[in-house]
Order: sequence, then C-alpha cells, then structure tokens
Amino acid sequence: MTTDPTLTLGVPRQARSSGAARARPVWAILTGPYALLLLFLLIVPLANVALFSIHRYSPTKVALPELTFDNFRKIADLYYLRLFARTLKLGLITTVICAVLGYPLAYWLARVRPRLQAIGMFLLIMPLMVSAVIRIFGWIVILGRKGLLNEALAALGLEPVRLLYTDTAVVIGLVNVFLPFMALPLMAAIERIPPSLEEAARNLGASWYHVFCRIILPLSMPGLISGSLLVYSISISAFVTPALMGNSRERMAAQQIYDEVLVSFNWPSASSLALTLMLLTLGLMFSALYVTRRAARLERRR
Amino acid sequence: MSSRASLLIAPVVGAIYLGLLAPLVVVIAVSFGPSAAFAFPPAGFTLHWFAEFFASDAYVRSFFRVSLVVGVLSGTIATLLGTAAAVGLVRFRFAGREALETFFLAPLLVPEILLAAALYLFYARLTIQASIWTLLCGHLVICTPYVIRSVTAGLVGMDPRLEEAAMSLGATRAQAFFKVTLPLLRSSLLSGAIFAFIISFSDINLALFLSGPQSTSLPVHIFSQIQWQGDPTIAAASTMQIVVIGLMILVVQRIFRLRLLV
Repeated sequence: MTTDPTLTLGVPRQARSSGAARARPVWAILTGPYALLLLFLLIVPLANVALFSIHRYSPTKVALPELTFDNFRKIADLYYLRLFARTLKLGLITTVICAVLGYPLAYWLARVRPRLQAIGMFLLIMPLMVSAVIRIFGWIVILGRKGLLNEALAALGLEPVRLLYTDTAVVIGLVNVFLPFMALPLMAAIERIPPSLEEAARNLGASWYHVFCRIILPLSMPGLISGSLLVYSISISAFVTPALMGNSRERMAAQQIYDEVLVSFNWPSASSLALTLMLLTLGLMFSALYVTRRAARLERRR
Repeated sequence: MSSRASLLIAPVVGAIYLGLLAPLVVVIAVSFGPSAAFAFPPAGFTLHWFAEFFASDAYVRSFFRVSLVVGVLSGTIATLLGTAAAVGLVRFRFAGREALETFFLAPLLVPEILLAAALYLFYARLTIQASIWTLLCGHLVICTPYVIRSVTAGLVGMDPRLEEAAMSLGATRAQAFFKVTLPLLRSSLLSGAIFAFIISFSDINLALFLSGPQSTSLPVHIFSQIQWQGDPTIAAASTMQIVVIGLMILVVQRIFRLRLLV
C-alpha cells in the first residue's frame, strides 16, 4: 500500500497550540525561499518565453519591439505541422509499447516476494537515474552498423539491418528511457487489487486472458491512464534520444526548439514552439495528476 | 503469485529487464575492453580508457569540477530549501496551502528541455553569462521537489505528539524541532539529499542549455563526444557515472522506501 505523501489529509495541526498570530510568519519564512526561487527561475522565465513568442523576429536584433501573432500562425505551415505530427506519432507509439511491456513488469513487481521486489525495484530505478545520454550511448553501440546486433545477425548468417538513425531506433530508445514511468504507476495500481479476486476468478474457470481483461485491466485503469499521460508528455518533449539516435532530417519538436534557440537564434519562433509544446504537455500532466488524486480519494473513501 | 502465473510471466519480465539493462551492461563492458571500435563482448581487459579519461582535461574538468561540484551544491542547497518548505507545508495550516503544495511540485510537470530553453532565454535577456552558477540555479528548480516529497513523507509518518511533548516539557518550538524532529527525519533527509544530487549529477536537458564552455557538465561532454564519434573514453566516463549513481541508490534503498521518490 503506498500513500502519496503529498495527498495525505491526516496532517497534524498544531499551529493553534502555539498561537495562530505567531504561526503565520513562520510558514511564510519556511516556504518563502523556494517560492521565491520558483517565482524568479520558473514563472518569470516562462513569462519571458510568452513575451518573446509575440514579438517579431529580426535577424540582426533577435526580437523587434513589435507585437505579432505570426510566430503562432507559422506553426500552421506544412513544415511545422509535419514536425508536430511526427512528434505526436512517435510519442503515441512509445506510449503504447510502454503500456504493453509495462503490464507484465508491473504485475510481477506488485505480486512478487518482498526480497525479489527490492531487487526488481533497484534494477528498474538504477537505469532510470543514470543519465539518458549514457543509456542512449549503450544503444548506439548495440544497434550501430557494426554493432552487437549486426554482429549477432552475421554470426547467424543473416543480413545486417540498418536500425540506427531511423524512427525504430528512436522508439527503442524512448521506450527504454521512459518505461519505468509507466511501470511504477501501474505497479501501484495493481498492488491495490486483492489477489483473492484473481484466485476466485481462476477457481471459477476464467482463463488468464479473462482475468486480465475483466479484473486487472479495469481495476488498474487509473494507473494506466496516469502512466500513459506521463510517458506521452515526456516522450513528445524528448530531445537527447532523437538527437542521438534519429535521422538528422526527420526530427522531433524539441530538436527544432533547440536549433532555433542555440543555432539560428530565432528566439521568437522558438518561444512560440516551446509554448505550444508546453501547453500540450502541461495539459496532459495536470490530467495525470488529477486522475491519480481522484483515484487516491476514492481509495480513501472505500 | 501462483506458480502457474509466475511461470507464464517470468520469461517476459526477464526479457524486459534484459532490454532495460542491456545498454548499461554494454557500456560497462566496452569501457574495460581493448577495442577502440566498441567491440562487444570485449576481447580482453584493460584500464586504458580510464587512464585516457584521467589524462583528458575536458573529461576531468567536467566530472570533478563541474558535475560533482554542482551536484553536491544542488544536493545541499535543495535539502535546505526543501526541508524548510516541507516543514512549512506539513506543520502549519494556512489559506492556500494546497495551492502552494501543487506549485512546489510544478517543476516536475514542466518538460525539462522547455524549462532549460526558458532559463536560457531569461539569462540571455539579462545578459548573464553561462557558468556553473547558472547551471546550479536551474538544478535547484528541479531538485528541490524531490527533497520536499521525501521530507514530507518523513514528517507525515512521524508522531507530532513527540514534538508536543518536548514543548510541554519546556522546549521552545525551535528546540523541539532541532532536538526531536530533525534527528527523527534523518533518513528521509538523507534520501532527499541523495536524490537531489543524483538528479543534478545525471541531468542533461538543463545542462545542454545552461552550461557554458568553461562549465560543461559530464553528461553534456559525453553528448558532444558521441556526436563527434569519440573513442571508448566515453564508456569509461559513463561507467564512472553508473558506479556513483548505483552506489547512491543502494544507500537510499537501505535507509528509505525507494518508490516514494519517483
């Protein structure tokens, strides 16, 4: 049973005992520093992006003091539409594969003995914490033209495959990097399903397929939804994986933003792209947060 | 789990773990192999690439003078900021508390690459030069929420009557906190600090935008070496990062519940 600490309502109250008048400034002093940090290093920079996005681009001065919506209108150009379509498509494929792989993994982790579970968790979280560049580098060694995979195929007398710098490689990389974000919420959801439900269904003659479709899938739905939204929103803003494993001409949205900020210095255009992508992912993330909180609330009422 | 079910599922789970861990295993193996062409399995054992790593100014600087320094500073400062914020959120009632709590987790919801671009443009507008300090500021934004989560969990799981007992015996609020609460929070504090360090140490998205030529972090240096088709020194540097992070996660798992943090 996991309790998300941020959701707990049974928080001790004791401000009253020491006098509300004195308690008031104390919370402000305690929470103030990080609140200020976020104000200056999150809110103001985002507002700055919003400001850039409605300014006209100038090749000599970066941005002219002239308001325009052209930067957003330009997103409707074929080039940008295709960029976003590709990004959303690769995100969707990644999410579906993560869900398919995430279920067996999460089910195993949720039901296995505590000792094995600890090992399983370590092996899931360790790669998650290692920098994405390193995992991607590993895949480059495996999938490269003379990589491990092609050596193995050659040893079996098969034709080598060209995987690196294709969409397939990008999806492999994204799934590898983001699978834990699917498996962990799913695992939390499956842990809440009493094993007796499955046993009862099995005793009454249900096949494993039926147990999955009728019991596990519906009862773990909140986990699946929040995991999917999470994986989808981080994979559509992925940069390192497509930059190192993808084709340099067929790119994803974050690569375009990177280039426009650091290479072509078209900051107004980059800002409008970033804002569009940000609103998309924030919408998804807040839905995920809402779904988990709702599920936790329902759980508590039960 | 019934034995039938585990028989069905175990090979699938094994294959998934193989896929998850394969890149790390390959990187570590290549770093000890003699081949400059990333041959796997390695044809022998050598520490040559580690010697190359320590002989390279760029690698040594990015590891020891940038990533490690920024990581330790981020871990320390984020722990101070995050612990204060968590205590404020859990131990006090005030209007807008839940909104503030959501606001404090907001950095985890903004895609890192977009936060990085936003910070870059912000520094650019203020004409602030990239340095380890600009990188540190960015890392504090994303590291602190992990400390808040971990310390909040510790505080919620602790009996508030302990603190009340200390105060009824004459301790001031501050004394009660430092003498009673803080020692009891040791493990969640340490876990939060370690996670903050790891997030900073392995971050690439923020560092791509925020580190300057003199403050290239290890992941960014590895990134550019991969793009320039560098030699297995990349693998040696990666192995060093994997070892540092693996050890730290083992520590967290020993003293705390790992899953509260992800």
